[in-house]
Amino acid sequence: MKNKLKVYRAIHHLTQEQFADKIGVSRQTVVAIESDKYLPSLGLAFKISKLFNVTIEEIFTYQEEKNEN
Amino acid sequence: MNIKKYRQIRVVTTFFIGFLVSMAVMQNSYTLAIIGVLTGMLFLTLVRSKAKIVIDERERTIREKAAQMTYAIFAPTIGLGSFLILMFTSGKFPPAKGEFYYLESLGMVFAYLTLFLISLYAISYFFLNRKYGGGNEE
Repeated sequence: MKNKLKVYRAIHHLTQEQFADKIGVSRQTVVAIESDKYLPSLGLAFKISKLFNVTIEEIFTYQEEKNEN
Repeated sequence: MNIKKYRQIRVVTTFFIGFLVSMAVMQNSYTLAIIGVLTGMLFLTLVRSKAKIVIDERERTIREKAAQMTYAIFAPTIGLGSFLILMFTSGKFPPAKGEFYYLESLGMVFAYLTLFLISLYAISYFFLNRKYGGGNEE
């Protein structure tokens, strides 16, 4: 799963801390999502897309993992 | 106060309590040790209530995985440990039965602890499974 969170955050002039406060998570979680280390839940993904006023697909793109059976 | 500051205060307080308890032990003063530990606990509780700590879904996922890993390691270890201790003290292997009373008791405690742990896991699994729609309802 890839995401353009950093791009959208930059467009809206939000720091990681401000963005984290707006969606109700910690800054570490924002860092983890941006670096693709943590996959947000559907609820959080909806919250993020609503904040940026775009669809989920515009922020998150699904990529099939190579070692997936 | 953010989580970073809270963690710094927690480390300093823990070191201070450790120092205080070691001083109390050296001077054989149980009162000082008890007062030190209680004051430290109270102080940390107050600091925690002032700190802005966010428990989000990532934190919960980490806790779930940590608990799962702890269970996966602890249950077999303690179960196998109790089995080996009870085998060792059963009399089938030297030394003969009755030579290590405390070991037999320890084995029994471990065995009951394993049973308790597995029962607790099974009960919580059953209720959580029902809560999240895993029942037989259609």
